[in-house]
Amino acid sequence: MIENLKEISKDTLLQEVQKFADAKARFVTTVCSDLGDKLEVTYYFNYSPGVDMVALRMVVGKDEEVPSISGIYLTAVLSENEMFEQFGLKVKDMAIDFGGLMLLGKDSPVKPMVKDDAAAGKGGE
Amino acid sequence: MPVMLPTIIRNLFGGPATRMYPVQVRDPFEGARGHIEFDDDKCILCGNCARQCPAAAIEINKEKNELVFYPARCIICFVCAEACKKDAVIASNKWRTPYYTKPVEVHVAKAKKEKAKKE
Amino acid sequence: MAPRTIAPFGPQHPVLPEPIQLKITYENEKVVDVVPALGYGHRGIEKACELNEYPKNIHLCERICGICSCMHGISYCEVVERLWPMEVPPRAKYLRTIWSEMSRTHSHLLWLGLLADALGFESMFMQFWRIREKVLDLLEMTCGSRVTQSVSVVGGVRRDIDDEQKKICIRTLQEVRQEAEALINVLATDPTVKARTVGKGVLTKEQAILLGNNGPHLRASGVKEDCRMLGMQAYGELGFEPVVETDGDCYARALVRARETLQAIDLQLEAFSKMPEGEIYVRPKGSPPANEAVYRCEQARGEVFYYAKGNGTRKLERLRVRTPTFANIPSLLVMLPGSELADVPIIVLSIDPCISCTER
Repeated sequence: MIENLKEISKDTLLQEVQKFADAKARFVTTVCSDLGDKLEVTYYFNYSPGVDMVALRMVVGKDEEVPSISGIYLTAVLSENEMFEQFGLKVKDMAIDFGGLMLLGKDSPVKPMVKDDAAAGKGGE
Repeated sequence: MPVMLPTIIRNLFGGPATRMYPVQVRDPFEGARGHIEFDDDKCILCGNCARQCPAAAIEINKEKNELVFYPARCIICFVCAEACKKDAVIASNKWRTPYYTKPVEVHVAKAKKEKAKKE
Repeated sequence: MAPRTIAPFGPQHPVLPEPIQLKITYENEKVVDVVPALGYGHRGIEKACELNEYPKNIHLCERICGICSCMHGISYCEVVERLWPMEVPPRAKYLRTIWSEMSRTHSHLLWLGLLADALGFESMFMQFWRIREKVLDLLEMTCGSRVTQSVSVVGGVRRDIDDEQKKICIRTLQEVRQEAEALINVLATDPTVKARTVGKGVLTKEQAILLGNNGPHLRASGVKEDCRMLGMQAYGELGFEPVVETDGDCYARALVRARETLQAIDLQLEAFSKMPEGEIYVRPKGSPPANEAVYRCEQARGEVFYYAKGNGTRKLERLRVRTPTFANIPSLLVMLPGSELADVPIIVLSIDPCISCTER
């Protein structure tokens, strides 16, 4: 159970994030997970200590493009690049675009975190 | 500099903080995790250790009545020692010495054989 | 306009214990632009955690980072405990707190030594690392290992601290506190240290919040924020008050870490005196349900964020780890431009970068 979760869509993402920036909230991180045919992206913010985090969640298709929040919170740039690399989530207008080579190399597996058979590996060695 | 003077004087007259290592070795602490050994007389090949090993360092071969241990894969977490109900995994506090080739230990479970003979 | 030069800082550099590259563009010794290049230490641990059974992930998560290994293991266990949800016995909570603070002590002593080394104050570096060794010995005595402690399991802890060990711990910690205090006094008053750190890499309170900084780096900018204030483990009962400095420069960050070292020792001593008797482990029943949970914990370098999603099987559906340095690296893009090239190592070091953590 995630507390203080708010479902949004990708069109209202920037407006919602701007509200947090105006209220001087701190950006914590994004979490992307694979739902099978769609991707679930959750943004976490924190107003002040001693308070639980506030989360914004949106569900997008695998080939949809979402806006980048790095224009508002520069620090989101690393986690957005990571989502692009690991899940293939397209993010528009990132402040720094590593082009899929932030953590992975040229010969690395493509979209390693996606749960289809092609990318899945074996356990153990 | 004057603030650090007491430390400097103490270091000047105190002994060295280090040991002459290969010659003089500190005794390991009682509960330190050094390495594991197997007691072949007690092992019944139940496979608890192999199932719980996070590094897949133990393999059980029931047909050959063998337990195969790969020390180079072992991460020395001692989960196997806690999982073993027969005390066949011995937790030792002495470290292994380095090796040039990766060793493979094959243990034949005697307890299992004897039990089979009796039946 | 003076010619611009691009110089690589890293991946191998004396102040960096781990590999990260910063492409620094500079003009007349003034830094103009910085682009970080990561990817030297990516091991795919998040993916591996989906393939393993959940108890085995503890050992995998402990290997995300060497220094904060103990706290990564504890954070993983806590997030899985929140999935169920289940409650840990009080003694186990105290033991987790003690080991967390012990690793904070040794991590901060390591950092203070590295800072002295980056300034060229070699003897101070050795002094700090000498007293750090005592803390590592305590960890080896109580947990069984110097670095990867492997003491936490889902449902409690694996080892208990008996009375004899407790006495040795208290005596050694008091010694360490005394020696660390003397050294920190030198570091805080030394004019050469001040000349190299005061006013370098300044971040204001507003900038620090907007950049999502965390840990000692955020607290040095005057923000009173610490995950330990959430009162997880035994912190709620220990009367914890975060250390805050207001200047936001490298000197303030060093002071925050120095004061936190002493505070961590005080917290351990207090936890030892308040530790209740009783069980240290409860067995979790079945496998984690289809549920999700988040957990935040204050590591030595800042706030670590764990997200876990179960699907009712013995494997986790998703595990996400956001480590402190991951959020602190973007602040370099703001702090470095405008600074002298010679100050770059100190500023980079002042966020206490841990790259293996960042890339997982």
